[in-house]
Amino acid sequence: MFTLLRDLRRLRREIALPRPDRGRSLAIRHVDAGSCNGCEHELTLASGPAYDLQHLGLGIVASPRHADVLLVTGAVTTRMREPLLVAYAAMPEPRRVAAFGDCALGHGLLAAPGELVGPVRDVLPVDLVIPGCPPTPEEIVTALLELCDRPVTRP
Amino acid sequence: MTASPATVPPARRGAAPPTAGYRERVGSLLAAGHRFAGLWVAPGGTGVRALLAAPSGAVDQVVTAPVLAGTAPSVVDLAPAAGWDEREAHDLHGVRFAGHEPLRDLVRHGELAGWTVPVQGDDAYQVAVGPIHAGVIESGHFRFHLVGDRILHLDARLFHKHRGLERFAEGGDVAHGLACVGRACAACAVTNGVAYALAAERLQGLLTTAGLARVRTVLLELERVWNHLNDVAAICAGVGLAAGNNRFSALTDRVRRLVAGLTGHRFAFGAVQVGGSALSAGGDQVRALRADLAALRREAEVSWRELVFTTSFAARLPDVGVVDADDARRLGTVGPAARAAGLADDVRACSPDLAYDGFAPVRPERAAGDVQARFEQRGLELWQSFDLLDQLLDRPLEPVRAEPGGPAAAPAKGLATALVESPRGATACAVEWDGERLRRVRLRTGSYANWPSVAFAASGNLLPDFPLINKSFELCYACADR
Repeated sequence: MFTLLRDLRRLRREIALPRPDRGRSLAIRHVDAGSCNGCEHELTLASGPAYDLQHLGLGIVASPRHADVLLVTGAVTTRMREPLLVAYAAMPEPRRVAAFGDCALGHGLLAAPGELVGPVRDVLPVDLVIPGCPPTPEEIVTALLELCDRPVTRP
Repeated sequence: MTASPATVPPARRGAAPPTAGYRERVGSLLAAGHRFAGLWVAPGGTGVRALLAAPSGAVDQVVTAPVLAGTAPSVVDLAPAAGWDEREAHDLHGVRFAGHEPLRDLVRHGELAGWTVPVQGDDAYQVAVGPIHAGVIESGHFRFHLVGDRILHLDARLFHKHRGLERFAEGGDVAHGLACVGRACAACAVTNGVAYALAAERLQGLLTTAGLARVRTVLLELERVWNHLNDVAAICAGVGLAAGNNRFSALTDRVRRLVAGLTGHRFAFGAVQVGGSALSAGGDQVRALRADLAALRREAEVSWRELVFTTSFAARLPDVGVVDADDARRLGTVGPAARAAGLADDVRACSPDLAYDGFAPVRPERAAGDVQARFEQRGLELWQSFDLLDQLLDRPLEPVRAEPGGPAAAPAKGLATALVESPRGATACAVEWDGERLRRVRLRTGSYANWPSVAFAASGNLLPDFPLINKSFELCYACADR
């Protein structure tokens, strides 16, 4: 255990992530609406020590009831439309939706007729787009920080 | 069954076509040591084909039964691993299977009673989890049947992410099929792509060269290394050991960066092609990659030892989520989960079209088929894959093309199959083709094969241990759902 912690501390020194100069935060809930698992793997690493979403005030939370942002990956399958709407309905205001990855944006979709509802914007109002197939952890951090710095407008 | 079932030529070149009846033929192949490796509906819904993978070195067999009045004979009593395949064939193609009762919903999302096994009795209750989970996890629904904290039974309802990729591939050309298969799953993108490419090349009478085999094997082993590192991180997360999870996440990221340096993409999207490889890496680049992998291995070994000697972690793993050798054989478990149970199954040991000469599968000394054994198996395979990569990266990688083998090399009926060992186990791809257009593509991944084993492993355990059990398999939902 000591070695693990020592290695992680050394790693953090080497990566030298900039000290955050912000007082804001975002609580993020991820919903996979039909991805290929690439977006999930990169989002997972964005929370890891090399990028560390948390130190920038960006945290993945367990429930949409705790979330400011719904981060949706994949083009929405017919089977995930309802769960996605339920998750969105559970969020407190003000709430935002980020379409994460090229499928969520409707780029180059591959699917049999009838299996997809369409890109996220066909189901929910989209506030932020994060393009990429999948977006890299650096791109994820940059995009979310931009959203974090936007002024909040109450509906 | 009244008509005699039709048979098609075997998957690979050179074997005599079998003639016996479908069930008899499947039964005799299983008795001869073949393993059930997939089942799909033939183009036009006229037949059902079963793929039987040969014990090492021999020829894989495809056996076909005709569909008469919408019904085909079931083989689920001979090979329980065919359970999901037959349920999927029913849901997507309307084929009924005589003898498969009840034929429960799999892909189709109907009423609760249509896909759950009823559990009754005092104090039995259900816990419904998903399709949306609490972490960054793919979508899928788990229905636990419990008494207290003890899991009696688990029904997994996946296919929330079903995109109909195989159906979408039909009617397209060979390149379109590769795009569809490639989109099935990012974590297994190389494996799925290589399985499809090998099948498509066999259809076109193309022969793999040593250079092409080497490039593909490098990509496959890099994919295995980052997946196994990711799985170790996931197992740490399954017991809440943040330090281990973070350490192995960092290593996973390093390997994905190396993959991006080699292929231009962190998951090697686009790197696998049908008929050749455009990948090029000069002497300096390959030497640097080899050195990076050697350094990474040393770090991974140190961190691995730390995990093994962290007693609070190590004590959580033994005797949890057991799938022993008999169960693994019966359920058709593949990959690290099967080897952790003591089975020697590894497609790499019989892959003449890939650079695995002399490969021998590894197994842990204590192959108990529990979380501990599956964890240890990841370590053993990591060191083996690092060794393989070190051998393969001894010279530059150059663009190569498969060689035309002439008309004699192509199978007569436009059907070919290929098996490739993914990080999660044997992945089979069957391609049917009329010379121009794809008529059928079937991708049966290691994750698809192993999901029933996860449900089996969970029963008898405590509900709070399910995340750990699940992560010790660490299956993809995307390449099961397609």
